[in-house]
Amino acid sequence: MNKVFTDGLSFALPLLIMAIGALYSEKSGVTNLAVEGFQGVGAFFGALAATLLSPLIGPGNQVVIYIAIVCAALGGALFSCLHGLLCIRFRANQVISGVVINILSVALTAFFTSAANTAISGSASNRFVLDVSTRFSVPLLSQIPWIGGLFTDMYPFEIIIAVLAAVMWYLMNRTRFGMRLRACGENPQAVDAAGASVTRIRWIAVIISGALSGIGGICFAYSLLGNFSPSIYQGFGYLAIAAMIFGNWKIGATTLACLFFGLAKSGGLQLCIAAQLSSSYTDLFLMLPYILTLLLLVFFSKKNHPPKAAGEPWDKSKR
Amino acid sequence: MRKRRLLFSRLLTGQYASLWVSVLAILMMFVTAGILLLAIGKDPLTALRSFLQGCGMIPKENYGGGSGMLTDLLDFLNYLAPMALASLAFITAFKAGLFNIGIAGQMLLSGFVATVLIGYNKGLSDAAAKPLVLLTGFVVGGLTGALIGYLKYRFNIHEVVSTIMLNYMISYITGFFINKNFVDMMTRNSTVCTPASRLTLTNVMIGGMKCKIPLALIVAILVALLVSFLFRKTVPGFEIKAVGQNRRCSEYIGIRVSRTILLSMGLSGAIAGLAGVAYYLGYTNSIVPKALPGMGYDSISVALLGSASPIGSLFAAVIVSIFQQGANYMSSSVGVAKEIASLITGILLLFASCGNYMKYSAERRIQQAADILPDQNAAPGTKEREDKGVEKQ
Repeated sequence: MNKVFTDGLSFALPLLIMAIGALYSEKSGVTNLAVEGFQGVGAFFGALAATLLSPLIGPGNQVVIYIAIVCAALGGALFSCLHGLLCIRFRANQVISGVVINILSVALTAFFTSAANTAISGSASNRFVLDVSTRFSVPLLSQIPWIGGLFTDMYPFEIIIAVLAAVMWYLMNRTRFGMRLRACGENPQAVDAAGASVTRIRWIAVIISGALSGIGGICFAYSLLGNFSPSIYQGFGYLAIAAMIFGNWKIGATTLACLFFGLAKSGGLQLCIAAQLSSSYTDLFLMLPYILTLLLLVFFSKKNHPPKAAGEPWDKSKR
Repeated sequence: MRKRRLLFSRLLTGQYASLWVSVLAILMMFVTAGILLLAIGKDPLTALRSFLQGCGMIPKENYGGGSGMLTDLLDFLNYLAPMALASLAFITAFKAGLFNIGIAGQMLLSGFVATVLIGYNKGLSDAAAKPLVLLTGFVVGGLTGALIGYLKYRFNIHEVVSTIMLNYMISYITGFFINKNFVDMMTRNSTVCTPASRLTLTNVMIGGMKCKIPLALIVAILVALLVSFLFRKTVPGFEIKAVGQNRRCSEYIGIRVSRTILLSMGLSGAIAGLAGVAYYLGYTNSIVPKALPGMGYDSISVALLGSASPIGSLFAAVIVSIFQQGANYMSSSVGVAKEIASLITGILLLFASCGNYMKYSAERRIQQAADILPDQNAAPGTKEREDKGVEKQ
């Protein structure tokens, strides 16, 4: 039972930070289906940094993980500029641009991973093996019955993500920048009339989105997978987008949706182990989050209120 | 210089604008890929030549026994058939303003069902099995596509999200059944289907060379002509295009939007189903469990490069297939990782998606030239600056 909560939380939090990334971009009026690509490329940069640095710092040193997270955020931000360029500057169709980014990111990371591995170790492997992140339990909280599992065997990055999520909530809902950003997604003309630059706000939002998604990606690489390989593209980005849609483009509700996904995933897996089914049945249980996504979308999509101007390129001369 | 640039702008806004946009995208792709290859210390021209050699368009230095240029060329056509079909599937949905990202999943599901139902049925003759395979692919793919269309108009679920979810579900569930019931212990793939059901005739001897005859290519060309006819000459085709351009306006003039979305998505899925059987019961004859065909995503590049025209995408499919099919030979002869094929396709997609912007900026350039021409001496400074700005874009 405890394992369900522990694993569920370590899956939900990277998902949450990616969902918040998507949310920032969409709230500013740029439809973002590129989260999947951002998280992959972010994780690539993080894993590359970790692979290059770990011989210098020494194996098993946990500092590498924090550096990797920073590099992943920077890498994701850098790659998200491509989405910004296509959507904001070149006024391309934002859905197409998202799909283009996702396809390109798979190819880019696959190619450069094997190129980098050839340069570093001489073998053209398509994965970076990462150190294992240490885990810790919060002393008192982990003793609480029932929900104690949430606080046992935590990854350090879970704390980082939780703090970051809170900061991002504050930035979105309590600051002048956040208000303008939300206005950009509803009525960009009003923002323009008020004297702020719609283009600039959207650029910042897309870059934030890339950075947060990158962090989500490297956290998955460190926790769930233990390496960086093409298996990072498992549709986590799309799950994050689905979570954002249930959350009705609000950070609080999105958090709940992510927790739900995480618990559904780990619960399904534990159920499979508890029922002592053979390993081939795990595939069926791995389907669970995707089926739940689709079912929940059936119930929640109708009533939703997406940002009004999302998907439209900003045109000053339009009303 | 200025005149030449204006000439190109005219091409980008003229009658064959879409064609020139594609040509420009391909040129830019060659330049980018060339720079990339130079950066990792390989000769781009040698790489290009070996791509073409791998597809049987230029003779290789030496061939193994019983194979030749024709073998490679027919292998290439064998790959081209599902690719062309998959891109036609994308186009059919794209015209209605829908993005069928689930082509990969639809291909896998229909390939799997056709393999299990027909491919493992040893009693069927050639003449019965092949049409049945096509029919199964068409129906299974069509139902999957229609489901996505239904979710779209009934529950307002974005088709990109629902197709991706379906992709993963299909990949897991077919993987589960293959691993449980149909796995070949040697290859870890599904057991091979009967030759009678396969859409490719294997081991045909032509001039002493062992060749494969891709029957699916005929299907692909027929479907391309039919889709072209659908959008040019028929009422449903017009309605699909109208819905794609302005959903509200179509509703207002009395087009039943829900039915049109269902139709275009169902048709798109059905063609993807044909692509699936052409891939899994033609190009290959077994299924790798839990792997979605990359072709499902490459077909998006093909469709966008062909500016969503059925006939144009046939030609675009040739270009993308050259890189995908030639990658193995290129990789072994030049020594670049074969992932570069996907990278090149991605770059091509990137430039093709800027097509509208190219047209838009060309229009603006012509407009500016027309504005400036009457008084050349008015303000040379501003003219120069605007010019540079446009060039950067």
